[in-house]
Amino acid sequence: MSFLQLTQGPLWYLASAVFVIGVAWRLIGLLRLGRGPDRSVARRSGVAGALKAIALHSVPHGGNLKRTIYHFVTGYGFHLGLFTLLFFAAPHVAFIKGLTGLSWTPLPRWGFLIAAEAAFAGLILMWLRRMTDPVMRRLSDADDHIATWLVFIVMLTGCLALQEAHDSLRALHLLCVEALMIYFPFSRLMHAFTFLVARAYTGATYGRRGVTP
Amino acid sequence: MMTNPIAPKTAHLAGPGLLAGVLALLAALLLTLALAAPAMAQTVRPPANATTNVLPPGPEMRGGVLGNRSDGAIWHDIRKGAAGESQDLRAGSGVLIQSQGEDWRLIRNQWVLPIAWKVLAGVLAVLIVFFALRGRIRIRGGRSGRVIPRFSLVERVVHWFVASLFILMGITGLIILFGRPFLLPLIGPGAFAALASASLQGHNLFGPIFIVSITALFVTFARGNGFRWVDLKWLLKGGGMLGGHASSGRYNFGEKTWFWWASLCGLALSLSGLLLLFPDHLPGFLQTASAEVPPERTLMQWATLVHAVAAAAFIGFGLGHIYLGTIGMEGALEGMTRGTVDETWAKEHHDLWYEDHKAAASANASRAEVRAAAGDV
Amino acid sequence: MKDLAETPPRKIDTQAAIDRFLAACNSHVGAYLDACIHCGQCSQACHFHEATQDPKYTPALKLQPMTRVYKRHKAPLSGIKRMFGLVPPELTAEYLQETEELIFQSCTMCGRCTEVCPMAIDVASVVALSRQAFVAAGLGPADLLQAAENSRDKGSPLGLTPEVLRDRIEWLSDDNEVEIPLDRDKAEVLVTVSSIEMMKYPDSIVAVARLMNAAGLDWTISTKGYEATNFGVLSGRSDIAKTMITRLTDAAESVGAKLLVIPECGHAYGAMRWSGANILGRPLPFEVLHITELVAKLIRDGKLKLKQAAESVTYHDPCQVSRRGGATGAAREILAAYSSDVREMTPSGNHNWCCGGGGGVQAMASAAALRHAVFQIKINQVEATGAKTFVSACANCRLTMDESREVLHWPREVQSLVEVLADRLEG
Repeated sequence: MSFLQLTQGPLWYLASAVFVIGVAWRLIGLLRLGRGPDRSVARRSGVAGALKAIALHSVPHGGNLKRTIYHFVTGYGFHLGLFTLLFFAAPHVAFIKGLTGLSWTPLPRWGFLIAAEAAFAGLILMWLRRMTDPVMRRLSDADDHIATWLVFIVMLTGCLALQEAHDSLRALHLLCVEALMIYFPFSRLMHAFTFLVARAYTGATYGRRGVTP
Repeated sequence: MMTNPIAPKTAHLAGPGLLAGVLALLAALLLTLALAAPAMAQTVRPPANATTNVLPPGPEMRGGVLGNRSDGAIWHDIRKGAAGESQDLRAGSGVLIQSQGEDWRLIRNQWVLPIAWKVLAGVLAVLIVFFALRGRIRIRGGRSGRVIPRFSLVERVVHWFVASLFILMGITGLIILFGRPFLLPLIGPGAFAALASASLQGHNLFGPIFIVSITALFVTFARGNGFRWVDLKWLLKGGGMLGGHASSGRYNFGEKTWFWWASLCGLALSLSGLLLLFPDHLPGFLQTASAEVPPERTLMQWATLVHAVAAAAFIGFGLGHIYLGTIGMEGALEGMTRGTVDETWAKEHHDLWYEDHKAAASANASRAEVRAAAGDV
Repeated sequence: MKDLAETPPRKIDTQAAIDRFLAACNSHVGAYLDACIHCGQCSQACHFHEATQDPKYTPALKLQPMTRVYKRHKAPLSGIKRMFGLVPPELTAEYLQETEELIFQSCTMCGRCTEVCPMAIDVASVVALSRQAFVAAGLGPADLLQAAENSRDKGSPLGLTPEVLRDRIEWLSDDNEVEIPLDRDKAEVLVTVSSIEMMKYPDSIVAVARLMNAAGLDWTISTKGYEATNFGVLSGRSDIAKTMITRLTDAAESVGAKLLVIPECGHAYGAMRWSGANILGRPLPFEVLHITELVAKLIRDGKLKLKQAAESVTYHDPCQVSRRGGATGAAREILAAYSSDVREMTPSGNHNWCCGGGGGVQAMASAAALRHAVFQIKINQVEATGAKTFVSACANCRLTMDESREVLHWPREVQSLVEVLADRLEG
C-alpha cells in the first residue's frame, strides 16, 4: 500500500470516524447537561432572540469596532478565506464529488489565490497577536497554539500540492488534514460548532428580556 | 557551472519566545518538504498541460559529408539569432533559439548563481568567525532590572509578520534557485521534482502576502530611520566595535541601513516578483507584438535576474540582522518579543534615544505633578 | 487590594467550591466555557481593563476557575482527555485566592464583554455562579458578605429595619407634606425601596411618592417586604437571595398587589424581574416593573402632567436596567418629557460604560481605588456631552459616582431621573 493509498483509505476513514463521532459526542453531551426552565415572564420571544444572535452577532455592534478592528479584519479574512478554500477550491470540489457524488462550480484560479492570501495573512497575523499582545499571551494555552499550527500546516501543505502533479504532496496534505480531524473534537477547534450553542443561549436570554443587539 | 555542489549551511539559532515560534515555522516547513521528498519518483505525474513525446534533436540536424554545414556552423548561426522559416508568422517565430535567452541563461548560471551562493556562504562564514573571536556582545554595565518600552505592539506584529514570511519565501526561493545544482544530485529527480513543485507553489502563493507585509514594514518603521550626522560619526567609530562609544538615536547607522536595504530589496523583489507571477497581465504599454524580441520577454528575463540578485542581497544582510538580534547581542531580542529593553542596554547602544525617552518621561511626570497640585488628579 | 492583614487566615474548603461549580455546570454555562477561544477582545469592552490597561482584568480570565472544574470533571470527552493527562489541574486553595479578585472586586457583571465576544459568552452569569462557589469555599470580601447577612438579619444591608423604615417614612411624609402609604391592607401596587435611597438619598422616596400620588395609583410600601436590593444574589449567597425574593413576594401577595415596582436600582431590577421567579422556583403572581418603566407608562397614558424645559441633560444607563434589563427605552421616554435637549453619551443605551460599582463592587472597600480609576471614563463621557444636568436611574450607580467624584474632585452633581422629573409635575 502506497503512502497515498494509506492516507486516502484506512487513515481517511479512521479520521472521519473520530471527527464525526467526537463532534457529535461533544455536542450531544453538552446539550444533555440540560438546564432548568426560565420562569420569568418574557418580554419578547427567546427563540427569535436565539436565531437573531446566531446571525446578527457576527455583525459588530456596541461601538467597539474601532477597538477590535485588528481581530475583526484578521478574523474575518482568515475565516472567510478558509471556508472559501474548504468548499470551493477545485481539488476540494473534486474530492467531495468523489466522496458524495455532489458537486458544484469550483472557484477560478484567481478566486483561489485571493481566498488563500486572505486566509494565510489572517491566520499568521492572529497568531502573531497571540504571541505579542499581553492580554492574549495571558489567555493562551497549548491548545490555542497547537490548533493554530495544525490549521496552518494543513493550509500550507494544501497550497504546496497546488500543482496536483505529485502524489506524495497530495498524500502529505491528506495526512495533515487527518491529524487535524482527529485533534478537532478534543480541542478548542470545537468552537466551530459550540459558537452556535453559546450564541443561542445568550440570544435567548437577551431576547426574552427584550434587549435588541 | 557548478560541479561540486555543497549543501548550503543553515544558521541554527536558538532564541526564546517568539523566535522559537518562527523557527518552529521553519522547522515545520522543512519537515513538510522532507516528508514530501522521500523517493516517490514512481508517483510523479506530468502536469495536465505538459507537452510529451518531444524527441531529442536527431541525426538530420548534423552536418553531413556532402558539404552540408557543420554542427558548429549551424549552432553559430542559431546562437546569433538567425531566423529560419516558420508557418507561424508572428514576430520572432522563425528564430529557433532566442539568442537573448541564451545570454540570460549564461548570466544566470555562470554569474548570478555562483556569486549568490558564495556571498551567502561568505556572510555565514564571517558571522561564525566573528562569533568565535568576539563572542556575544554583553551588556557591559550589567542589567539594571528597569525596562523601557522600545517597540510597540503594532511594530512587533509587523516585524514578525515580515520575518515569518521572509523565512518561508527565503527557504522556498533558495530551493528554486539552488535546488538543481545542490539538491537534485542529493535526493534524486523524483523527490526533487516534488520538492521543487511544492516550493514553487508555496513561493508563488506567499509572494503577494509578502508584498503586503513589506509595505506595512516600510510604513511602520520609516519614522526615525532617516540618516543623520550622528550616523556618520557612528560609522567612523565602527559602531563602537573599534573601542570607544558610538552615540546613536533610536536606530543606529547599521539599523537604518538595514531598513533601507530591506525596503529597496523588498521593492525590487515585489516588482520583479509581480512580473514573474503575472506575465500575461502586463500593462498595455509594455505589450507589443511587432518587435523581434517581445518586450515582455525581455522584462521577464530581467525580472528573474533582478529577483535573484535582490533576494541574495536581502538574505545576506538578513543573516547579519538575525545574528545580531539573537545570539550576537545580549538584550536585543527582548525589544522585539516583550517590547521592552533594559535601561543599561539602551544607554550602551542607543544613548541619545535613551536620553530623549527619559526627558519625555520626566516631562510627563512633572505635568502630572502640576495637575495634582491644581487638585486635578 | 485585599485587607488580609487584619483578618485571620481563612480556612478554604476547595471541595465545597468544586461541588458548587459542578452543580452549576448546565448546558448553558458549559457552552460558554467550551466556546471561549482566548481572543481577548473582551478586554476592550471591560471598564476595569480600560481604566488600568492591566491584562489581568481581561473578562475571559474570569471564566477560568469554573472552566478548570468543568473541563476536568464534566465536559464531554474529558474522560478520554484525562487518560492522556490533558485535563486542567484540580482547583487549589492558592488558585482560588489568586483569582478571588477577578470574581469579586473587578467584575460588576455589567455584561459589556458579551457584546464584543464573537461567541456571545455571558461572562456575567458565569461570574455570578462562580461567586457562589467561592463563597461556599469560604472566600469573598467580608464587607460584601456582611451586607448580605445584614439583609437577612435586619431586613436591609444598610440597617434599614422595619422600625427605621416606619420612622423615616413618617419623617419624610411630614417634612415634605406628601402622603406615603405604609402597610395598607390592600393595594394594587406594591412599591419597594432601596436602602441606599432611604438612608442616603431620601428625596428619591419623596419623588416616587409624588409621582404615584399624582397619577392616582392605589399603592403602598410594606414593612413585610420592602428591600429591593438583593445582596444574596450579588454575594453568591443563594440562600439569602431566596429569602429576599420570598419577602417581597409574600408582601405583594398579602396586599393583593398586581404590580411590584422596583425603585431606582439596577441589580434589584435584574434580581426580581429576571431571576426572581427562578430563584423562588415558581412564577411570580404579579407584574414587575422598574420605576422608569412605570413612569414612562404613566406619561404615555397621560396620567402625569409635566412641564418640559430646554435644559440640557444626559443620562447614565444602569447596566442592569438597560443592557441586561431591556428597559432602555423607558428612560428615553421620560427624558423626552423632561427636556427638549437630551444629549446621549457615546456610547450610551445598551452599550453604555458601567459606573464601576455594580455587582456589589460598591460595597467592597477593597475595590475603592479600582472604582475611582474607572470613574474617569464616565467623567470623560459626561464632559463630552456638555450637558448641564447629569442623571441616572440607579441609586447604586449614583452612590458609586458620588464617592468617586469626591475623590477625583469632579464638581458635577449626579442626580436621580425620578427626582428631577417629580420637580416638573404640574399643579
